Amino acid sequence: MPRPWWVSAIARLYPREYRERLGDDLVDAMLACVARERRGGVWPLLTGVRLLVDALTTFLPGTVRSAPSTGDSLMQSLIADLRHAIRMLRRAPLFSVLIVATLALAIGANTAIFSVVDAVLLRSLPYAQPERLVTIYEGIGSTMTAGFSAPDLMAFRDRVRSYDGLAAFRNAEFELSGVDQPERIHVARISASLMDVLGVAPALGRAFTNAEDTGGQLVAILSNGFWQRKFGADPSIVGRSVSLDRRSYTVVGVMPAGFRFPSPGPQLNNVPADVYVPISFTRIELNGFGMMYNNSVIGRLHAGVTAEHADAEARTIATRIFDEVYPAGLRENGFPQLIATVTRMQEDIVGNVRRLLVVLLAAVGVLLLIACADIACLMLTRAAARAREMAIRTALGAGRAPVMRLVLVETGLLAALGGAAGLGLAWTLQRLFLTSISESVPRAEAATLDGRVVVFTALASIGAALVCGLLPAFESSRRQSSGMLKESGRASTASARERRIFGVLVATQFACAVVLLASGALLVRSFARLMATDPGFRGDRVIAASTSLPATGYPTAASIRSFYATLLERLGAVPGVTAAGAATDLPLTVRERRAFTVEHPPAGVDGSGTIANDWVTGHYFEALGARIIRGRALAPSDSQTSEAVVVINETLARQYFHGDEPVNRRVAWGGARNHGPWMRVVGVIGDIKQAGLAKPTEPQTWQPWAQVPDAAVANNPTGIFRSLQLVVRSSVPPTSLVPAIRAEVRRLDPALPITGVQTLEEVVGASAASQRFNATLLGAFAGVALLLAALGIGGVLAISVSRRTQEIGIRLALGARAGDVLGMVVRQGMTLVLGGLAIGLPAAYASTRVLRSLLFDVTAHDPVSFVAATAVLCAVALAACAAPALRASRVDPITALRND
Amino acid sequence: MPDTLSPQAFHILLALADRKPVHGYAIIQEVRRRTDGEISLTASTLYAAIKRMLDAGLIAETPATGETGGAPRRCYRITNAGLRLARADAERLARLVAFARDKRLLARRA
Amino acid sequence: MNAPIPAHWFQILLSLADEDRHGLRIMNDVLERTNGQMKLWPGMLYRNLAKLAVDGLVVEIETPAGAESGGGRPRFYRITPAGRRACAAEAVRMAGFVEAARRKRLLKA
Repeated sequence: MPRPWWVSAIARLYPREYRERLGDDLVDAMLACVARERRGGVWPLLTGVRLLVDALTTFLPGTVRSAPSTGDSLMQSLIADLRHAIRMLRRAPLFSVLIVATLALAIGANTAIFSVVDAVLLRSLPYAQPERLVTIYEGIGSTMTAGFSAPDLMAFRDRVRSYDGLAAFRNAEFELSGVDQPERIHVARISASLMDVLGVAPALGRAFTNAEDTGGQLVAILSNGFWQRKFGADPSIVGRSVSLDRRSYTVVGVMPAGFRFPSPGPQLNNVPADVYVPISFTRIELNGFGMMYNNSVIGRLHAGVTAEHADAEARTIATRIFDEVYPAGLRENGFPQLIATVTRMQEDIVGNVRRLLVVLLAAVGVLLLIACADIACLMLTRAAARAREMAIRTALGAGRAPVMRLVLVETGLLAALGGAAGLGLAWTLQRLFLTSISESVPRAEAATLDGRVVVFTALASIGAALVCGLLPAFESSRRQSSGMLKESGRASTASARERRIFGVLVATQFACAVVLLASGALLVRSFARLMATDPGFRGDRVIAASTSLPATGYPTAASIRSFYATLLERLGAVPGVTAAGAATDLPLTVRERRAFTVEHPPAGVDGSGTIANDWVTGHYFEALGARIIRGRALAPSDSQTSEAVVVINETLARQYFHGDEPVNRRVAWGGARNHGPWMRVVGVIGDIKQAGLAKPTEPQTWQPWAQVPDAAVANNPTGIFRSLQLVVRSSVPPTSLVPAIRAEVRRLDPALPITGVQTLEEVVGASAASQRFNATLLGAFAGVALLLAALGIGGVLAISVSRRTQEIGIRLALGARAGDVLGMVVRQGMTLVLGGLAIGLPAAYASTRVLRSLLFDVTAHDPVSFVAATAVLCAVALAACAAPALRASRVDPITALRND
Repeated sequence: MPDTLSPQAFHILLALADRKPVHGYAIIQEVRRRTDGEISLTASTLYAAIKRMLDAGLIAETPATGETGGAPRRCYRITNAGLRLARADAERLARLVAFARDKRLLARRA
Repeated sequence: MNAPIPAHWFQILLSLADEDRHGLRIMNDVLERTNGQMKLWPGMLYRNLAKLAVDGLVVEIETPAGAESGGGRPRFYRITPAGRRACAAEAVRMAGFVEAARRKRLLKA
């Protein structure tokens, strides 16, 4: 007899003495089973599974005598149930497809979101021993957490003892020159020790040496993506040069694929870099006490040192640095206390998105629950139709167990199919989800459908099978005779019980739906409030663009000033432009904060503090459409040779001048006892949002860019004075001006890239992007939940109406009006809905607290949102009740009574 | 449809097979006697089984005859469906017995 | 009176009642006799045969000379007197039920 390999393989599972004693007889017996089953229409594969189980269970105790008299084993019954279930499902294809499709969507959505949650929150960082990696921040005073300044970093490194290694990094933008289309790329300036601290190594070439770290050599390491995009994955790239900021850097290495650093997520230096260069602090940076707190620092703790211990040490060291290292002038000036804090690196990266992701996962889980309740209703209905068959099984078998097993196998089959389809769907859904979030959600790009995700899908499918199937399984196995043998028209205790079960299912659905609706309403309201916030400028018809003049092409302040002056003049002359200006920062961002003091502050007011500052040129305020409240705005007449002036915003006027007239008062940089030259306040501007729409406005000043000393303009290490943001107001649709703007820049310098071209409206929209995303997604979930619940109640009422046709006919015959019948059905439905609300509203009240950190200007218990959610839910529920109610009211009493 | 009756069900149906109505207690007794105590039903087991067979339409309740007062006791009789099932199972048993005779495990019937 | 034995044991013993057989033939025989209702699986069958041997109802014997098989030397099984008695007792029990069924006119006499 031909002997398939798998038969021999299963035979090998038997103990050796069996095989020796039985020899070929064992294999022949197995082959005979395959042939026998095939005659009965069973695939050899299935038989193979049974043979496998048979071989394995042979050695379990209790399998010899435990079989009932028919010789059935559990496995045989399960397989028989499975075949029966397949037959049943094929006989009702629409039903099966509906259920599988619903499950596929719900499980697929769950899987997609879980895969992101897994990649972002659960998996550890892709570095060596990531639990030992921490991020260290400096703080000034108690309010701001910032990066390290270069001298502070050096002092810190010399004093701490908790770390195997420390490394610093900072984002920068360089111009990529020497290509057809010059562009600006993201660069990270990194310590040579960074690779060691992370425990990574370049895929090609080498990391930076310590000498390169301090020596200012022009070497670079490319990211893998950049290497592929710009150099076609050239394997001989090491040693070639690349032109950054018009200087020639030598490539010494390429990072492996999948290395994405810095990671988005932390508040500082969170833009993944295309190119890495040594951090090479300049002399100015190394002596810059009290300013430029902009370096991110990470460290690898010694084995056994906890983050808490390192945190305590950091705080102590920060105080010591301030006392021992900081210049006396700063200390006496009331410079705020220095703090340092240590956070686990994973927490620093993902801490901000954790809440959102968990909320999304919970919401999509609730959706699955609602979908399962719908399916349970469907299966209960079908169970009623198969009652007789189930009853016979119950009578002939050993009790309820075989029937329950059959129903659970059916549900399990549906859930398995739904889960498998869902897994496939999840791939697409995951891609969709990622394209909308991967910019802002750190580590999201690592989300894949791997083993853990598949396990999650399997668990979700099993859970769904249980939720959908347990209730119908119980009900099927306890069918009462009266409910089944009597005619369908008359109500009885059995259908009363059934009505109760349906009622509970529908009420649960609506309870879940209202929780999602309330959450969605809160987020939508929050987003609306955010967008309604006055940003302080008129963003319509304004174009912004970012420029940066590299030192190589523009070594002197004169060249820089000349460039911008000419550019702004020419832009002003472009037809359609009403005003053109430039500033070091656009609205909704601020990078520069300084110590500040007021001359003769009002009584009881601390005249010193730290405020935001921006430098402007051209007709900036006019281009922005800012409101001038007192005095005047800055003008081109405020030049290098005229008096030093500033304008302030309302918040600063309020905080530092109280009710007094600020115009013509004097202010200066620095502390009360040690400050720079006085500057005169010439105007007060209406508040413009700095750190996004959601945060309150900080006190801010604007200075004329023309009045910055030449040395700073040319040599400031952050390059802030040679990288101005253009702001152009137009009388025509702003996007039509973009080509003209680009053309003017190209005229002045063909190699200069211009980036970040967007309208100010887009800038405002971008700052609300995450709120918009939250609102959209949760709103979509809430909508789907409501739809599913509406289907549930519509279906249940339709069944109820069709079962009570006779009763309705009697009522109509006895004089009830169609309207009364309609009212009766609607009341029946709305009672269920109210029951759901009774559970759901308190649940929503309790659970929306978790949304608090995602909301803007809206409390977690905002009554308007809750009322709106309830109203929408009731409206939809009413609509869902309408169709069956109308059908009930149209019952023809004569026909109904005849159908006894 | 499963193919064979459980021993419990078969014996209950057998007890009703002559189509006379029988009380629950009498069923217990007859089954116990016939199986020599192997199948000894408690009242609750019996009534659970009876309920399932009622649902399946294998047996039916009949009004008790000749009541002399006290609580009415329920009588059951077999239905046609139940008869068919019981007969099929009995035939299966009879075939097995015939096999046994053929192999000279049992003496031939007189 | 002995306790009743499980149905599959009864069928196995019936198979061996008039002839020594090896596992494959027992499987086919039982399948045929029960009209395809009782399907024995190899692992379960041999384990049951082992238990029957331990209980003294069957014995394993060497392959008889000239026994047909697909190649190799399958083990044969033979019923013991104790096995015969147990099988007969079970058959008597069943005969009693059949008789009761006849008395009640469930079966034709």
